[in-house]
Amino acid sequence: MANYRLHILVCMDPVCREKGSQQILESLKKELITAGLDDEVRVMETPHIGGCEQGPEIMVYPDEVRYAGIAVEDIPELVEKHFLKGRVVPRLLSPLEEHEDKELSAPKPKEVRVVLRNCGKIDPDNIEDYLAEDGYQALAKVLTEMTPEKVIEEVTASGLRGRGGAGFPAGRKWGLARATQDWPKYLICNADEGDPGAFMNRRVLEGDPHSVIEGMIIAAYAIGASYGYVYCRAEYPVAVKTLRIAIRQARELGLLGKNIMGKDFDFDMEVRMGAGAFVCGEETALIASIEGKRGEPHPRPPFPAVKGVWNKPTNNNNVETYANIPQIILNGAPWFAAMGTEKSKGSKTFAIAGDVEHPGLIEVPLGITLREVIYDIGGGIKDGKGYKAVQIGGPMGGCLPVEYLDRPIDYESLTAAGAMMGSGGMVIMDDETCMVDIARFFMEFTQEESCGKCTPCRVGTHRILEMLQTICDGKGQPGDIEKLEDLCHEVIRNSLCGLGQGAPNPVLSTLKHFRAEYEAHVYEKRCPAGVCKGLTRAFCINTCPANVDSPAYLALIAQGRFAEGLEIHRKTNPFALICGRVCPAFCENRCRRGLIDDAISIRMVKRFMADQFYNEPWTPVCAPSNGKRVAVVGAGPAGLTAALRLAQRGYGVTVFEKMPQPGGMMTYGIPSYRLPREPLFSEIDNIRRAGVEIRCNQALGTDFSIASLKDDGYKAIVMALGAHKSRRLGVPGEEKQGVYHGIDILREIALGEAPDLTGKRIAIVGGGDVAIDVARSSWRLGAAEVHIIYRREKEDMPAHLEEITAAEEEGVQFHFLSNPVEVLGGDAITGVRLQQQRRGDVDNSGRRSVHSIPGSEFDLACDVLVPAIGQITDFGWQADAKVETEQLDTHLAILQHKRRTRDEEKQIETNRLSTFKVGLAFETTLPGVFAAGDAVQGPATVIDAIAQGNKVAIAVHTWLTQGKVERVLYKQPVHMINQTVDILAYADARRPQTQFIPAELRLSGFQEVEKGYDETQAREEAKRCLRCDLEWQQYIKDKNLQ
Amino acid sequence: MINLKINGKEVQVPEGTTVLQAAGQVGVTIPTLCNHPDLHATGGCRICVVDVKGWRTPMASCTLPASEGMEVETHSPAILKSRKTILELLLANHPRDCLTCDVGGSCELQDLSYEYQVQVPEWGTKGTRYIADSDPNPFVRVDMNRCIQCTRCVRACTEIQGRFVWTMAERGFDTHPVPGADTDMLDARCESCGACVAYCPTGALSDKMSYGQGRTHQVKKVMTTCTFCGVGCQFELNVKDGRVIRVTSTEEAPVNGNHLCVKGRYGYDFIHHPDRLVKPKVRRYLIEGKKKKTKGKPWEWVETDWDTALDLAARKLHDVRTNFGADSIGVLTSAKCTNEENYVMNKFARQVLGTNNIDHCARL
Repeated sequence: MANYRLHILVCMDPVCREKGSQQILESLKKELITAGLDDEVRVMETPHIGGCEQGPEIMVYPDEVRYAGIAVEDIPELVEKHFLKGRVVPRLLSPLEEHEDKELSAPKPKEVRVVLRNCGKIDPDNIEDYLAEDGYQALAKVLTEMTPEKVIEEVTASGLRGRGGAGFPAGRKWGLARATQDWPKYLICNADEGDPGAFMNRRVLEGDPHSVIEGMIIAAYAIGASYGYVYCRAEYPVAVKTLRIAIRQARELGLLGKNIMGKDFDFDMEVRMGAGAFVCGEETALIASIEGKRGEPHPRPPFPAVKGVWNKPTNNNNVETYANIPQIILNGAPWFAAMGTEKSKGSKTFAIAGDVEHPGLIEVPLGITLREVIYDIGGGIKDGKGYKAVQIGGPMGGCLPVEYLDRPIDYESLTAAGAMMGSGGMVIMDDETCMVDIARFFMEFTQEESCGKCTPCRVGTHRILEMLQTICDGKGQPGDIEKLEDLCHEVIRNSLCGLGQGAPNPVLSTLKHFRAEYEAHVYEKRCPAGVCKGLTRAFCINTCPANVDSPAYLALIAQGRFAEGLEIHRKTNPFALICGRVCPAFCENRCRRGLIDDAISIRMVKRFMADQFYNEPWTPVCAPSNGKRVAVVGAGPAGLTAALRLAQRGYGVTVFEKMPQPGGMMTYGIPSYRLPREPLFSEIDNIRRAGVEIRCNQALGTDFSIASLKDDGYKAIVMALGAHKSRRLGVPGEEKQGVYHGIDILREIALGEAPDLTGKRIAIVGGGDVAIDVARSSWRLGAAEVHIIYRREKEDMPAHLEEITAAEEEGVQFHFLSNPVEVLGGDAITGVRLQQQRRGDVDNSGRRSVHSIPGSEFDLACDVLVPAIGQITDFGWQADAKVETEQLDTHLAILQHKRRTRDEEKQIETNRLSTFKVGLAFETTLPGVFAAGDAVQGPATVIDAIAQGNKVAIAVHTWLTQGKVERVLYKQPVHMINQTVDILAYADARRPQTQFIPAELRLSGFQEVEKGYDETQAREEAKRCLRCDLEWQQYIKDKNLQ
Repeated sequence: MINLKINGKEVQVPEGTTVLQAAGQVGVTIPTLCNHPDLHATGGCRICVVDVKGWRTPMASCTLPASEGMEVETHSPAILKSRKTILELLLANHPRDCLTCDVGGSCELQDLSYEYQVQVPEWGTKGTRYIADSDPNPFVRVDMNRCIQCTRCVRACTEIQGRFVWTMAERGFDTHPVPGADTDMLDARCESCGACVAYCPTGALSDKMSYGQGRTHQVKKVMTTCTFCGVGCQFELNVKDGRVIRVTSTEEAPVNGNHLCVKGRYGYDFIHHPDRLVKPKVRRYLIEGKKKKTKGKPWEWVETDWDTALDLAARKLHDVRTNFGADSIGVLTSAKCTNEENYVMNKFARQVLGTNNIDHCARL
C-alpha cells in the first residue's frame, strides 16, 4: 500500500457539487501531477464534510485543515504553498465548525474517561471504529486465556459494583448466577434509565454500544448464559437503533451467535423495548416486562440469580456496569481498583443538572467530593447565587445541604448521609429553592410511577404527596410534619420493592436537613424561598424579615394615599423613616420587576412616604393596660420594637439602655451621614408615645440585674442586648496605641469622643458594613489616607455594593487578598504587616476560601488600625454581675440575693458567649427571660432586628397569657389594595437614579449623603410595581385556599 | 426438611414452604388480604409482613420461602404498627358504607380493621372515585370504590376459570382492576362464573341478584349438591326467611372447592320461581276419561296427586308398547339427575320397557 504524506478529502455532496467541487477535484489531481506530488498527496472524495453553504470545501489530513469557498484558480496556490511547502493558506481557511455537544464536553481536570472513553470519538454504527479502539480485545482475551471462574475472580478483584445504584458487587452477583444449577441461563442489561434528567446510559448506548455488548458477552461467558436481553426504554429510539445495528454487526463478525471466535461458546442477544415505566428499572419488574407481563415487581427471594426471566437463573446489570467490563479485563483489576475509595472503586458517570453553570454528563473517579464536582467541574452555582442542596440518586435519592459538600462520593458515604448513588443523577439547587416544594416535586413523580401493586407505595406515596401539597398550600397543621415523617418511615419499611422503599427519601432527607423550612410553612405560613405560591404573596413581602406589605403601601402611594400607606407599614415595621434610609432592602433583590428592567425602588419610595409625616408625631394605638409589666434590656431596633408591640397589647414596658441615648446600633453604629439623628430620634419618640418608658444610662450587671428586675415586678424580660463587642484580630501588637476596634470607634464618633484622625493614615481590616462606615467616617474626620484590608476579594465583601462604591468614590484604597499578621511599631502603631492570600476551594458560604501565602508579607504604614471583623454580644454582665447590696437591709437578704442572682443568671445559656441560646419562641434557658435581635441572630440588619422584636413580643404575650409558649405563631397582616394603575402604561417607565450630594461636599461633614424622591418621582415609581400580591389573591381564590 | 423459629417456637417444614404456611403449622395466624391458598402468592398487600432476623425490612410472609435457621417475629410492636398503617392506608379512601354494604360481616378488610382497631384517618378521607354498580353483568355487582387492589379477582379468573377477564389498569394510586381493556365484563368474555366474587375479600365484587337481600349472619347456610349436572359440585344455599337468597361456594366442597359455574352459583332462581311446578299436572280429559281433542283449544292442565299422575303415565306407556312395540318408546334422562337416578332409568328402559332407546342430555 502506498504511503501518502497528505490526504485531501474533497466534499462531493450535492451542495458542493453544485458549487463546482468536481472541477476542484479534477484540478487538484492535475496540479498535483504537475507539481510531482501525486505519489505523496492523495486526493479522495468524501460524501460530506459539513459546512456546505460555504462550499466547495476540502479537508486536509493529518493537518486537519479545512478550506472552504475555494475556486479552481486557487488550486495552484494551494498546491504550491500548502501541499508542497507545508504552509497553510490563511486566506482560504475555514475552521471546522465545532458542533457544541451540550451534553458531553471534553473532560475537565479531575474527570476521567473509562465508560465514556469512546463516546463522541467513534462512529457507533461502525464496528470497525470500535475494533480500532481495542474493541473485542477483552473478549478475545477472556475466550482464549481465561476460565469463567477466572473472569469472575478478576471482576471481583476490580471491586466493580453495580452502577444501577444499589452497588452490589458485580463479581459476586455473577458468582451467584454461575453457581445456580439450572439451564438455560439468561443475561439482562438494564437500560431502562428512568430518572428524570439522567442520560448517562443513553449516551453510552448511542455512542459506544459495542462496549456494552462486549461486556455482556464476557458476562455471559462467565456465568454460562446463552441468551441476553437489553431492556431499553422506547423513549430512546436512537439508542435502540444503534444497539440493533451493533448487535447485527457483531453477529456478522461471529462475535455473537454460535461458536463465538471459534470457541465452544454460544451467546446471542436482542433488544427488548420497555414502555417507559420507571418501576421497570427494578429488576423483578423488568423481568416481568421482558416476559410480556405487567411491569410489576415481585418479592425477593427468590433472587433473579436463582429464578429470573422465564424462571431461569438470570444475571442483571446496568449499562454502565457492563461497559466497564472490557476495560477491567484489558487493563487488569488493579488498574481499575486504583481509582476510587476503599469500598467504591472505579469511575462513575453523573448527569449534572439544575442550577449549575455547566450542566451535562461527566465521569469522575469515585471518592471525589461533591464540592469538586459542583464547583470545579460544574462551574459552581448559576448566576452567582448560593448553594442550597444537591439531590443525588434520582427521585429516590436525598437532598444534601452545604455541610456535606466535602463528603466523598461513594456508595457508603452517600447512603449514610441519607442520599444514594442511584444511577447518577445529580440535581443542584440554589438558595432560591424551596425544599418542601422539591420534596413535593419528587413525590409527584414517584407516586405517579408507583406500579400500584403494594399498598404502602400505592396509597402511601399518594398520601405523602397530599400532605406535602397541603403544607405547600399553607394548610399545614401542627403535628402534620410528625405524621408525614411517620408515614414516610412506614412506607420505606413495608413497601415491596426499591421504588416504595426509596420514594420517601427526598422527604426524609429534606426533613432531616431543612426541617426549619417545613416548620416555617406549617407554623409561620411562610415559604422562606418564596416558591410555594399559596404562601408567597409577593417576593418582596416574603423576603422582608418583617414581612412588610410593600405592594400594599406602594399601591397607596401611587394613589397619593400616603397616610394609609404609612399605617400599613407601621403594622409590621414602626421605623419607616429609619428603614427608608438604611434598610438593605432585601425586598428589592427579589423584586420581579427587576427581572424585566430594574427593581422597584421600594426603599426610596418608602422614605418619601415617611418623610411626608416627618413632623407629625405618631401615637400608636394601645390596648387598655392589663397591669402586667415587662422589662426590655437594650433600646436598639429589636428592643424598641418589642417594647412597642407589648405596649400595644396593654403591657407596661420599661426599656433599660446602657448608653446615654436610645437606638442601639442605629445610634452608635450607623454614622449620621447615612442616618441623621433627627428622624432617628423622632421615631424613637413615637415608641415613647405608646407609653414605653426608656431609661438610659442603665447598665445590666451594674445598675440592675435580672433578679432585681423580677423583684421590681417585671413579669417577663426581653434581652435585646445587640452585638456591641468587637471580635479580636488575634495578632501580635493588637494592644498597641492607635488600634481601635471598629464598633468602638463608631460609638465614640457618635458620642463625639472620636480620636483625632486629622491628617492620619487609617487602615481598616474587614469587608463588612462596619468597615465601610469607619472608612467613610474617617474621611469626614479629616484622615489623610484610608485603607481597607480584606482577606478575600471585592465580590466576596458582605458590605453592600452601594456602600463600597460610595467608599471608592470617596477615595478609600482597597487591599484585597491581604490579611494582617502583626501590628508594627513600639508603644504606638506605625504600620501593619500584611500577608497575601491565595484563593482556594469554595467554602460553605459559597465564597472561595483563602489560604495564606507564607513569605508574601508586606508592610502598610498607618497611624491608626481599625479591626472591624465582626461583633458579638457582650456577656460581661453575666460573669461579674454586681448586686446593689446597699439597697438590701439584712445580711441574709444580701446573701439570698447574691445566690439567686448568680444562680439565675447562670441558668441563661449562651452559644459560646456569642449569642443567647434560645428556643423556637425566643425563650432563653431561664423561664420568663426572652432574647431577640443581634443577641440571638448575630450581627444583622435593622429590619432583621425589627422582625425579631415583633415576634418576641408575641412570644412574651403568649407566655404571659397562656403560661407556656412553644412557638411564635406569627400571622402576617394582609391588605387588599385594588390596582388603579394601568400597568401597561408603565411598561417602559424606569427606576430613577438615586441622587447623592457630590463626593467633595460629603467629606466636609456628616450631612446626609443620599437625596430623597420628590412626590412625582415617588408616585410614578410606585406605579411601576407589578402587584404580585394580586396574582396571589387570584391563586388563593382559584385554589379555594382561604 | 427446614428448621426455623417462629416467635421463638421451633418448626420443621418441607422445602418450598412459605413462612406463612410454616406459621400456620405452629398455630400462629398471620393476617392476609391479597393471599389466598387457592391462588399464587404475590406479596402485594403487605398485611402479612413479618420481621426476619438479618433482613433490613419486614418481609411478606406469603411469598417468603422458609429457609434454614430463619428467625421470624410475626407480632412485634413494629410489625403491628406496620399492619395498622397499611390498614389505615387501605381505609383512607374506602367508602364508609359498611352500614349498608352487602358483605358487612363477611368482609376481610372489616375483620382486620376490627382486629387492629383501625380508625379511619381524617387526613385521608377523600371520597369515592368510581361509579358504584358500574358493570352491566347481570350477576356480578362491581363497586371499585371498595376495591383494595389485592388482585384476587384477577388471579381467580386467570388461574381458576382461565378466562383472563380481569386485569389491572393504570398505575400508582389509580391502579384498579378492569375487565378486558377497560370494557365491560361480558364484552371481556366473562362467563359469569362468579369466581372473582367468591375470592373478593371486600364488597368490591358482590352478587348482584342477592344485593340487599341479606347478609352472612342473617342467613342459614345449607350445604347441598348442585342439581344442574352430574359433576357433583357442592355449595351452600343461603337461606333467609325460608327463601334461598344466594349461593356461596366453600372450600369445604370436596369436588369443586370455591369454584362454581354460572348455573351453580347464579342458576338458583328457579327455586322460588312462580312458574315452577311443585305438583304433577295432567290434561283434564285424562282424569275425566274423555277423548283427546284433535281440533281447537286442547284440554287444560289440572293439578293432581302423584299416584294418579304416575298411574296415567304407566297406563299410557303400556298402551304405546302394546300397540306399537317397545322400540316405539324413547327415554331421555337428564344431567340434573344423579347417577343413581340415571341408572334406575336405564334399567327401566331396557328391562321394564324393553327398549335400548335411552339417552341423556349429557351437557349442562
